[in-house]
Amino acid sequence: MQWLCILLPRFALEAAAGPAGGAHSESGTRSALATLALWALQWSSQVSERAGSDDAQCIAAAHGAALWLEIGASRALFGDHAALRARLAAELGPLGYEFRLGSAPTPQGATILARAGLAGGALTRAQLLRQLAPLPLGLLSLPDEQLAALHAAGLRRIGELLPLPAAAIARRFGPAASLYLQRLRGAAREPQHCVRPPARFTSRCEFPDAIGDATALLFPLQRLLAGLQGYLRSLDRAVQRYTLCLEHHRAAATRLAIGLARPGRDAVQFLALARERLAATALAAPVHGLRVEADELLQPLILQDDLFACATQQAGQLQHSLDRLAARLGRDAVRTLDRSADHRPERAWRLCAARLTAQPGALPAPPPVAQAPDRPCWLLPEPRRIDMPRELLAGPERIESGWWDGADIARDYYLARGEHGAQLWVYNDLRSGAWCLHGLWA
Amino acid sequence: MTGQALRPTREELRARLAQVGRSAQATEPARPVALATGFAALDAVLPGGGWPVGAITELMPETQGIGELSLLMPALAQLGRAGRYLAWIAPPCLPYPPALAQHGLALERLLLVQARDARAVLWAIEQTLRCPAIGAVLAWPASLDDRRVRRLQLAAEAGGSCGLFYRSPAAAQEASPAALRLRLRSAGGRLQVEIQKARGGHTHAVAVHPAAAVCA
Repeated sequence: MQWLCILLPRFALEAAAGPAGGAHSESGTRSALATLALWALQWSSQVSERAGSDDAQCIAAAHGAALWLEIGASRALFGDHAALRARLAAELGPLGYEFRLGSAPTPQGATILARAGLAGGALTRAQLLRQLAPLPLGLLSLPDEQLAALHAAGLRRIGELLPLPAAAIARRFGPAASLYLQRLRGAAREPQHCVRPPARFTSRCEFPDAIGDATALLFPLQRLLAGLQGYLRSLDRAVQRYTLCLEHHRAAATRLAIGLARPGRDAVQFLALARERLAATALAAPVHGLRVEADELLQPLILQDDLFACATQQAGQLQHSLDRLAARLGRDAVRTLDRSADHRPERAWRLCAARLTAQPGALPAPPPVAQAPDRPCWLLPEPRRIDMPRELLAGPERIESGWWDGADIARDYYLARGEHGAQLWVYNDLRSGAWCLHGLWA
Repeated sequence: MTGQALRPTREELRARLAQVGRSAQATEPARPVALATGFAALDAVLPGGGWPVGAITELMPETQGIGELSLLMPALAQLGRAGRYLAWIAPPCLPYPPALAQHGLALERLLLVQARDARAVLWAIEQTLRCPAIGAVLAWPASLDDRRVRRLQLAAEAGGSCGLFYRSPAAAQEASPAALRLRLRSAGGRLQVEIQKARGGHTHAVAVHPAAAVCA
């Protein structure tokens, strides 16, 4: 086992920071840490928000918040300590969190090294003991009275305390202190309370002062979406949409569904879409809280690279364009068209959702279109009543259909000449005798 | 040999650089500058031999229904076969799928974009022009000024796509930075294409017969 401690010395302040600033609540800090724990799940399947006894937890809190990750198993995946550290820094920096790292075979050891700022880490217990030896006792997670007692006994450095027999320490300073020191050295195992990814993702933050400007929501939203990304990566899942909930005081929350053209799990992409969407949304009321929800977890779409690198890149670019269009203009703003097997011209087509279902890249030759009468490029949204055309160029083509669903038609279609040589697709309704314009040979 | 003899002169360096530059150009696949229209008579008079790629073309039909869309169909079908998408931004009527399929368009590669107002339309045009997966953007912008056309021109260059804008005949009176401007009118059942402006070319008038109304 190799544990990484991410110590966040200014977490309570930073969690409340951002545009709202000011006061912060304990529950707010807790939910921010829970979001960050979900974010950390992408690096390790064992992430813990607390280590040691309740006592140790209380003392640890005085040093700031912390997360513990088991990284021994994931080293092959993310590279050595320095590489992992660089990746963590690249992600935590933009989220606005200051952090220190410590790495050791025991969680308590990693904690002390993080507090001491010894980022190099210890890979073995022997290395850990060597690194702990010169450190002052004040870094230990022990209650003040016990630290005072150790000081009174003439002890100053951790290295002077660790070689003492466990039984003697238990007798003089209590069994809790003895157990803590054994866990620190790795002589006793420590039970872990690991974070389990929930079945559906939900993450929330609240603002002490309401936010009236949508752009000010982006920074706190970025943190929630980082949690979503870590959550999805840890489960090897993706989402095609997520819900952004803007909570108002004494008013129903505004729910914005943010959709993607293809399943994705990239926080940067999630945020870009939310930015477009918020830019197009007028806030109904000041926002007191922000919540991100996602429940339809999908298989991530991993396109093969190398052979299809070009096509993959193209699909990615198209997906980003489609997502941006949908985020700004609305989910139904981008559609694709298809034919529909119906003789009635107004029903011979349908709208479909624009999805990247087709394999990108060149298509095989299109299937031959069944022999059908020619049709005009433009169809009017509704047939328009006209006077009887003066010049009919071709026709009629009789279309009688639809008796089964009550929308039956009986028409004779003609090609007619309009002004300036326009070619019109008109019909004569066989029941009413009326003439209508239905399309243009554009 | 002395070090002096090994050191190339300034002229030699220049010659070598030029050589490297030439070989780099030779290995880089040439990006097509034009997309064949499918009408030999038109290709012959268009600079580059087709619809300019990475640029804006303005089409100004005298009225709707004279074959102004059919004129584009062979090129659009070609783009679809090459795996590129087509974006139709806020068309005035429904592009009728049975007719588009008859013209050989890949319907699954067609994107129909609706936008609420003129500003959203221009934004959507720019977004789609910038996307390299989209080969052509058909649009009916309500009003366009010089500055806007230039901006869209840059977007088309970035995305390597054809911007095909339909404008009212009145727009022909205004100048425009578009690469190609065509006036379209019907003459004896054929579509008369008048090149009002062609970057790197001459003004011309040709008649084509798009398969708009075969029975005409």
